[in-house]
Amino acid sequence: MYFDVKGKRVFASTGGKPFDNSKSCVIFLCGSGLDHTFWILHSRFFAFRNYSVLALDLPGHTHSEGPPLKSIEEIGEWLKDVVTTLDINNISIVAHSQGVLNTLEYVSRHPQRIRSVSLIASGLATPVNPALIEAAENNPEDAIAMMIGWGFGPAGHLHQGPIPGNSMVASGRRVMLGNVPQELATDLKACDAYKKGKEAAAKITVPIQVIVAGQDRMAPRKATAELVKHLDNPEVHLIHESGHMLPQEVPNQCRDLLKYFIYANNPAT
Amino acid sequence: MSHFYHFDTISLHAGQTVDPEFGARATPIYQTTSYVFPDTDTAASTFNLERGGHVYSRITNPTVSVLEQRIAALEGGSAAVCTASGMAATFCAITAILSQGDHIVASSQMYGGNVSLMKNTLPRFGITTTFFDPMDIDGFRNAIQDNTRLIYGELIGNPGLDILDLDAIVEIANEKQIPFMVDATFNTPYLCRCLDYGVNITIHSITKWMGGHGAAIGGVVVDGGNFDWGATDKYPTITEPYAPFQGINFWEEFGPSAFATRIRAEAMRDFGATMSPMTAFLLLQGIETLSLRMDKHLLNTNALLDFLSNHKQVSWVSHPSLPTHSSHALAKKYLPKGAGSVVSFGVKGGRDAGKAFIENVQLASHLANVGDAKTLIIHPATTTHSRIDAEALVAAGITEDMVRLSVGLEDIEDIKADFENGFRATRKFADS
Repeated sequence: MYFDVKGKRVFASTGGKPFDNSKSCVIFLCGSGLDHTFWILHSRFFAFRNYSVLALDLPGHTHSEGPPLKSIEEIGEWLKDVVTTLDINNISIVAHSQGVLNTLEYVSRHPQRIRSVSLIASGLATPVNPALIEAAENNPEDAIAMMIGWGFGPAGHLHQGPIPGNSMVASGRRVMLGNVPQELATDLKACDAYKKGKEAAAKITVPIQVIVAGQDRMAPRKATAELVKHLDNPEVHLIHESGHMLPQEVPNQCRDLLKYFIYANNPAT
Repeated sequence: MSHFYHFDTISLHAGQTVDPEFGARATPIYQTTSYVFPDTDTAASTFNLERGGHVYSRITNPTVSVLEQRIAALEGGSAAVCTASGMAATFCAITAILSQGDHIVASSQMYGGNVSLMKNTLPRFGITTTFFDPMDIDGFRNAIQDNTRLIYGELIGNPGLDILDLDAIVEIANEKQIPFMVDATFNTPYLCRCLDYGVNITIHSITKWMGGHGAAIGGVVVDGGNFDWGATDKYPTITEPYAPFQGINFWEEFGPSAFATRIRAEAMRDFGATMSPMTAFLLLQGIETLSLRMDKHLLNTNALLDFLSNHKQVSWVSHPSLPTHSSHALAKKYLPKGAGSVVSFGVKGGRDAGKAFIENVQLASHLANVGDAKTLIIHPATTTHSRIDAEALVAAGITEDMVRLSVGLEDIEDIKADFENGFRATRKFADS
């Protein structure tokens, strides 16, 4: 669905069900250069379990009006604006990669409506190699190849996947090609510049779940361990056989973990 | 640094997870109609496209899915759907986006089945087609109407072998916001990945070179994931809620695989043009050696072009690799490895000589197929293109003396010797 936030058009997939702000809500936040389609299976699952769902396209990405936001702090404030515009309460946030940084910043500042947070495949910070930022600005195809190459684990590289007939790698590449060069480079610079993760993590008091990918080359386990160390008693799950793109590579395992956690902390209303 | 697998590795491995129970290295043949659900929630979520998995083999099957994912990977597409035949793929792809009152602009140089579908069958459902000469880009542009919803062609036209100018057509298709669908059967992704040039959808009869052994009939639709279905209101089947699936909006939810998902959800369910798992297994065996076979096809083709071009019983030879072919420059641009292994030639002495040639070769098989490992010959005017009218025959570049040859993998000296036997029988017609 489309809606306006401070005069700018925003798109969010609602998982195949009309959005209803009186219901408990699951907000899905994707990583750099990606969009709502990253959450195809998960968004439909919760939408058809009596939750309202928002799988958001960040400003400037795919169907949302630009320009892209330049810092994690700005994105955190934009998320607050989305929530207040739609007047949503009882929110569970599910975030992947850069979405985790966006979530740390948003929830640490505006925790009032949040019931649970699920953080997937990220640390407290996401330092980005200057060569990748330079490629995103000047040779986006190279940057996308690097990110897709590092992002997917062995199954992704062999075009295996849970959706019959679909290639996760090719779909991810197509989405990112639609978000270059400006959006991807802006996302990467925002990640690289964000240094407040430790401070933000320590402020979060709602129930937190962390899901770690055993074969993650973009957010290695050492980085995730640092995140876990600064959170307040999170539930931590490790899925050995996945790369960084965990929600797509092992969606069934990921969904089962999300399901039990969200059901327990933010029941459908 | 990241590393992506190359074509030959993808041909062997993509899409397959090694059987976790018994460790079978080959892709198992899941000869089953249906799949046991562990619980009702899993059943409901699989039915509702909330989780990957299989419900019923008319829609998806694990063996067929390996083939689909392998072809999607080879083509660089976001998703693929296999069908019972190449014609089923074409029909399912067209009807996924076109409805009554819509219009196609299609190349006149196409397989007779494609021409017949668009000229005779689809009009009964209110879908009309204007055919264009693939060498006439202005004519192509002028054929586009307000209700045109699809541009269609074969990269290597059958049987005239004219090459589509992909860049020129893509530019116009993008300007008009119309998807460009290419039948890539004759080139396979080994010779040209059309999606890399901006084509939006490819179709294959994988019966041909992809399978390569003349043992199984099959087709595939590959979704390039690169067409913005939501940019206009022309494609409501993709961009508006689909009632039979609880109002699903394919474009909004599935993005780069919206088109393939629509085919899966509607065409495979309602039309049921399903590929069997045994067929998928046979075709997978072929794809494992695609590059090796294509290289040998091209090697033999080049040798045979030389042989035919210098043969005194041959009146003309047509292949895009020859400088005399009208598409030679386009072939060099889009098909640098080679322009496929179908050759057309005329036998001196006309129709009777052509008939005598075909009846006197022994090794080459006289049948209606191309892309087999074995060398095949046929007379298009009386067989594959017999159901289209004289005007369309001329438009397709078919003459009465034309013999269509699909060059196989036999030893080239044996093919030449076989052809000499055929030509010997044509001399009396050429001399008369």
